[in-house]
Amino acid sequence: MSIATAAASRVRVESQRANSLIGQVGEMVVLTRRTVVSALRPPYSYGPELTSQFLFGMRVAWFPMLIASLAFTYGPAGIQAAGFLDLFGALDRLGGLFALTVMREFAPLVCAIVMAGCVGTAICADLGARVIREEIDALQVLGIDPIKSLVVPRFLSLMVLTGLFDIYALLCGTFGGMLVTLSHSAPLGPFFATFFSNATVTEFGASLLKTTLFGAMIAIVCCYKGLNAKGGAEGVGRAVNQAVVVAFLMIGAIDYVFTQALLATHPELSSVR
Amino acid sequence: MRAVGTWGGEWLDSFGHAAKFIGRVMWGVYSGRVGKYFGEALRQAAILITGSTLIVLGLVFILGLECGIEGGYGAKAVGATSAAGAFTALCDLREVIPYAFGYMMAAKVGTGIVAELGSMRISDEIDALEVMGLDSVLYLGGTRLLGTWLVLPFIYAIAVVVGIFASYIAVVVQLGQVSAGGYLQLFWMFQTPLDFLFSAIKGMCMSTFVVLVGIYQGYFVTGGPVGVGRATAKSMVANIIGIHAIGLVGTQLFWGTNPRTPIGG
Repeated sequence: MSIATAAASRVRVESQRANSLIGQVGEMVVLTRRTVVSALRPPYSYGPELTSQFLFGMRVAWFPMLIASLAFTYGPAGIQAAGFLDLFGALDRLGGLFALTVMREFAPLVCAIVMAGCVGTAICADLGARVIREEIDALQVLGIDPIKSLVVPRFLSLMVLTGLFDIYALLCGTFGGMLVTLSHSAPLGPFFATFFSNATVTEFGASLLKTTLFGAMIAIVCCYKGLNAKGGAEGVGRAVNQAVVVAFLMIGAIDYVFTQALLATHPELSSVR
Repeated sequence: MRAVGTWGGEWLDSFGHAAKFIGRVMWGVYSGRVGKYFGEALRQAAILITGSTLIVLGLVFILGLECGIEGGYGAKAVGATSAAGAFTALCDLREVIPYAFGYMMAAKVGTGIVAELGSMRISDEIDALEVMGLDSVLYLGGTRLLGTWLVLPFIYAIAVVVGIFASYIAVVVQLGQVSAGGYLQLFWMFQTPLDFLFSAIKGMCMSTFVVLVGIYQGYFVTGGPVGVGRATAKSMVANIIGIHAIGLVGTQLFWGTNPRTPIGG
């Protein structure tokens, strides 16, 4: 083979790879649209599956969520910020800092990472297992829409669950802040005074909206990768691996765009009260 | 009560099983017996470099941008726009880069190892290794651990550079509220080489934990391709708990009593 043909074939391989990447993104968008349409259009037959998925997600994620949110707020927002503020003798400001950083950034981020890592992977493994056992094909033969019966309940339950766990992460995070304040043997009154004077409804609503978006994205990515799992020994494991990588990168991307847009459009959020 | 007792017993059993296996893998590396498979360790290191580095750095970059934005707006809120460098120095080096590194190592490398070793297990390749007279724990586990240790310090150093660069872009180029010189002056004042060492220790501990969990979960997969998927999902749960526990203990240990900032006395 001459050098020119080798180069040409390499270009072809590269472009095929790019096509498949763009193709996958496109298929995920199509899956999102079909899921939303299917969720809104009657009959609403996915109730029981939705409940069981919701309970499953809670059972899998509550303990990692507890550890993760406590660690992530006790360390970065707690110890680092408290050490910094303590040097100025302004430890009472920690509460205000917590209301901002934890609600805006740390609680949603930790929440999304735990949901993607614990619930998303489980969903992907479960759907992948059904695909290679040909259960999905069997469902289609029986005339049952796999999107309505499998994807929609997971999509809705993960959206609601991630939003709810955001509140849970916020509570654990505030508990971490209390621990740090107490370990500096400072009173809790000023902590909560600055906490509540700095907390705003806009910030809280944005936090919930962001986590709900995270939940929707995680559900779509993990369901897509699970439903497209290849056969063979490595198929399902590889699907879970790819799902969690894509989900983590998307979490970072959504977080960046969302925070940037929120802070730029709501200047009242960046004022200290 | 009895149910709780059995559950606790099972949990302790599996914990002991994992600890014993991990001890075997680590002893294989420490005692130098893995040296006879050094070529395989180099191959694993090469796979890590070519396959995973860019993706790991990608998440570090995004979360570095995140830090820059938070720092920029936070400093603006207290009316000291030029102090953004102080915030990003603490945020980047001490906390966010180790966590981002740990998360992506878990997602890309940890689950990848589970999927790979798990598929070897269920297609009886590990048994075939044993039959051929190779020590499969050493050949599959020890080489992966050694390969990781060979390249990770360098990847971590690059990750720190990438994270710092991302914060610089966010604060100086994108928000544009502080000059490059003013930003960098405070930024470099708020970190020392010792902080970098502490940060690297945290990142290394997280990555080692992730790789060991991956090897353990992958080596003992049962139940066909479905079992491989389930083990991959399960390893992520263990990884998330472990990464945060290491992060918490590390921060408390290194910066808990001494904030190490150039302020006051």
